[in-house]
Amino acid sequence: MRLRKQFGTVVLAVATLALASLLAGSASAQVRNSGASPIALNAVLSQSLSVNLSGNAVNFNLVAGSANNPGSTSITATTSWTLNQLVAVVSVYAFFSNSAAALTDGAGDNIPSADFQISDNGGAFTALTSTTPFGGANAGMTLGQTLILLFNEKGSRTDVMKFNINLSPLPNLPSGDYTGTLTIQAQAI
Amino acid sequence: MKTGTCIRIVGLMLALFVAISASAQALNSGAQPIALNATLGESLTLTLSASTVNFTLAAGSATNAGSTNITATTAWVLKPGRTAVGVYAYFATAASALTDGAGDNIPSSAFYIADNAGASTALTNTVAFGGANAGLQLANVAITAANRSASRTDVMAYNINLTGGALPQLPAGTYTGTLNIQAQATP
Repeated sequence: MRLRKQFGTVVLAVATLALASLLAGSASAQVRNSGASPIALNAVLSQSLSVNLSGNAVNFNLVAGSANNPGSTSITATTSWTLNQLVAVVSVYAFFSNSAAALTDGAGDNIPSADFQISDNGGAFTALTSTTPFGGANAGMTLGQTLILLFNEKGSRTDVMKFNINLSPLPNLPSGDYTGTLTIQAQAI
Repeated sequence: MKTGTCIRIVGLMLALFVAISASAQALNSGAQPIALNATLGESLTLTLSASTVNFTLAAGSATNAGSTNITATTAWVLKPGRTAVGVYAYFATAASALTDGAGDNIPSSAFYIADNAGASTALTNTVAFGGANAGLQLANVAITAANRSASRTDVMAYNINLTGGALPQLPAGTYTGTLNIQAQATP
C-alpha cells in the first residue's frame, strides 16, 4: 500500500515537470515579422468626351428654287462623356468652316450655311447661322446641351439630325454638283 | 437662421461655383465630318398653253388669223458655261407646212407668227431644228450668272397669208400641219 502511494507521487511529479517544460518552451518561441512593404495604388479615370455618327454622307437631289430639298438620310450623333467636374455643360455643335460656302460647285457657285438646315430630334428646321466654338463665323448651330451634375458625370445623349437645303433664296443657282463637309463636335465646359 | 448667415452661405456657394467654372478647362470631342453631296440637275423645258390652232381661210387673203394664241413657257436650270437659250418655231418641210394630202400645200413662207405682239414674221429661216428655210427663232436669251435658272414666255399669234405665188389658186380643202416649238441652250 505504501509502495503504491509512492508510485502515484512519482507519476504526478513527472507529469507536472513535463507540463512546466512545455509552458516554458512556448514562452520562449518569438514570432518574427518582416518589414511592411507598401504598394502605392494609383487609378486614373480620365475625362473623356466623344461623338459617334451613324453615317457620314448625305445626298441631296436639288430642285431649283425649292425650299424643300431634304437629305437622303438622317444621321444620329451619339455623344458620350465621363467627366469629373462638379458642374459642367456638354454642348453638341454642327458647323461649317465657312458660312459663305457650305457647299460649292468649285466654280464659284455656293450654297451658304444660311440655306442649310438641320432638324434636331424632330424639332424645327434651323439654319446654320450662329457662331459656335468651332467652325466659321455665323456658320454653325447648337444641336443640344446637357447640364452635368454629380448624378450624370458619366452619360450620353443622342441627336437625330434631319437635313434640308432651302434654295428659295438662291433662284439663280446654276445646275451642278455641290459638295461640302458638315462637322459635328462636342464640348464640355 | 439669420438673414446675414443665409447671405454668407449663398455668397460662398456662388463664389465656389464661379471658382469651379473659372478653373474648368474646356474638353472637346473629336470632330466628326459628314460629307454632303447635292446635285442640281440641268434642265430645259418648254410647255404650251394649248396644242391646236384652227384657221378659217379666205382664198387669196393675206389675213387668216389663227383661232387662238398659244403661250410657250420655257424654263431652264443651266450649268455654268451656257451662254444662250434659243426658242424656235419650225416645220419639218418648208414646202408643205400644211397640206391637203393631195399635193396642195401651204408653204412655211406663208405661215406667220407674231411673238409677244411683235411683227408678224414668216417661217423662212433655217434654225436649229426642222427643215431648211422652215423656221423662225422666237427668242434668243443671253445667259449670265443672273439668269442660269430662269424662264420666259412667248405669246404666239398666228396668221396664214394666201396672197403669195400660186396660193391665190389654192383649192378648197382641209389643210393640216404640225408646227413645233422647241428650245435649245448653247453651247
